[in-house]
This record gives sequence, structure tokens and C-alpha cells, in this order.
Amino acid sequence: MQNEMPGFFAGKLNELVSWGRSHSLWPFPYGTACCAIEFMSTESARYDLSRMGSEYVRFTPRQADVLAVSGTITFKQAPILKRIYEQMAEPKWVISMGACACSGGFYDCYCTVPGIDCIIPVDIYIGGCPSRPEAFFDAMIELQEKIKNESYMQERKKKLKEQWENLKWKA
Amino acid sequence: MESLIQKFNAVPDKLAVDKCVIIAAEKLIEAVKFLKENSFDVLIDIVGIDYLGMENHNAPRFAVIYCLKSTKNMERLRLKVQIDEGETISTLSEIYPIADWQEREVWDLFGIVFENHRNLKRLLNHVEFEGHPLRKDYPAKKRQWLTENDKMQDQLEARLETLGYKVVSH
Repeated sequence: MQNEMPGFFAGKLNELVSWGRSHSLWPFPYGTACCAIEFMSTESARYDLSRMGSEYVRFTPRQADVLAVSGTITFKQAPILKRIYEQMAEPKWVISMGACACSGGFYDCYCTVPGIDCIIPVDIYIGGCPSRPEAFFDAMIELQEKIKNESYMQERKKKLKEQWENLKWKA
Repeated sequence: MESLIQKFNAVPDKLAVDKCVIIAAEKLIEAVKFLKENSFDVLIDIVGIDYLGMENHNAPRFAVIYCLKSTKNMERLRLKVQIDEGETISTLSEIYPIADWQEREVWDLFGIVFENHRNLKRLLNHVEFEGHPLRKDYPAKKRQWLTENDKMQDQLEARLETLGYKVVSH
């Protein structure tokens, strides 16, 4: 298809935007258990997540790009997590950190959500109980790779098309 | 412990390794008042037990255990009340204010009703949750999807009013 091959300007803009996005991922720490302690360790001076451009941990979902869910999610908490995900501005990504967030872990009981992918879409899963800071770095590098392969212009085209359809439908 | 056994017809629990007496539900309030006067000043915990399906168990289905401690004599004592399904126990929140939340927890998980409790609502589970999950006949694999955010507004307002603030409703 002709549309899938961007021209010189659009191609360079694509690269620039994905490069910028992938090196300034601001995480929102949704920490509920011991994985959050590992996340703090990842953030602090010894491991230093700011080397990836993620030094700003935003405690408001409106300013965050990555939702780092670290810890057990109970059914009582599930509506809150979903709401926070919905409050985040596009583009947004989700990292599911640790066994509990990925699958419920060993909490096979009435109160624990069997994996947050039952509620929200997840981009990267990290195993471990709790996962080590190195594993979190690995996930961040993988997420950067993923973002670099995303096309800003394609997204924009899709969105504009949707808006145009909406306008037509309203008129 | 001896005076409890004489005064309130309590029976020592043979299964227990520590000081534990089985007491009738009607005599619970009197016994707890008596114990509080005799230096048992802390109610540490209220625990529910469901004996459904247990072998060689010839007593009512549920048991509620009150763990008491005396900070003066460094003594501990447990009171065990056995009740069947549908029966109720009177609340201890008049004597020990902490019993308010502990009884809410036991009601939430076991469905044991405490009479005259002023606010018997769920403490640990969500408001939309149905059933009592620590009962033995609650299916272990059952999951309940909850959708609403838990609104704590009424409790917050009540708390503020007790602290002397005036809540203005919109």
C-alpha cells in the first residue's frame, strides 16, 4: 500500500517522536506490595532508572506515560486501578511487575484478581517474586524498543479518521 | 480463671494449650465486665472459627474467641463462645470500643451477627461483595467482579462531625 510507506519528512518525524517518547517515559508507580519496594530500589541512586530518562515518578495519572503496576491487586482495588488507567493521557503503556500482578501469584483465593490483564491491557510482563531491579530495566528497554517501532503518523491518521467519521455521523 | 468457672459456669477448653474457657453466649457480657474490672484491660482480638466438616466435633458450628490481656499482671485469657448458625451474640463495643471494628471483621468474613452493634458493615470486603468468604461452604474458586468505587463519604462525614467539624451538604 502506498500509505504505509511514509515520505522523507513523515518518516523522520516518526523517528523523532518515537525517539523522544521512548527516552522520557514517566512512570506512575501503582505499588501495593513488595514489588513496589523493588521499584523504589530501581528508582533510587544504586540502580538509577533516570539513566533511561524515567527519573520523574509522577503521582498523578494525567502526567504519566507508563503505569507500573507492582504488587497484588485485590478485587476491592480493581475499580480504582481501572479508573487510574482511564485517567492517563494517550499514549500510555502498562508494565505488570511481579507474579501477583501478572497472574495473581500464589494468592489463589476469593479476593485476588488473577492477573491485571483481566482489567486493563498490559504491554510488558515481568516475572519474579518480587522481580529484581535488573528485570525492571530489561522491561524498560523492551518497552523502549516497542515504542520505537510504533508509528506516530499512523496513529495520528487513525485518530483523524475516527474524528472525521464522528463529525460525519453528527452532521 | 477459677472465679470465672465458679461464677459463670465456664468450662475449661481441653483442646487449648493456654488459658481458655468456654462460656455461654448469654453470660458473655457479664463475664467480660467482670474481667475488665479485674485488670484485663485490653481486648486483643476477636476471632471466628467455622467447624463445618470437622471430624469428631459435637458442638455448634461456629465459635467466637475473645483474646484478652492484662497489662498489669501480664496475663492472657481466651473466652470461647460456641454458637450455631442463625444465633447471635451481643456486642462488646460498649465495654471495649475496639470491638466495634473487630466484630465488623468477624461479621464480614463469617456472617456471625452481633446484636446491638451500631454499624455492622463490611470492613475488609467490598460493599458489593456477597456472602461470607471464610465460611467453609463458600466455594474456594469463586470470584466476584466488583465495579463501583467504594464510597466512604458518609463515614468520613460522621467522623468529622464527632471531631467537632460541621459538614455542609451541597
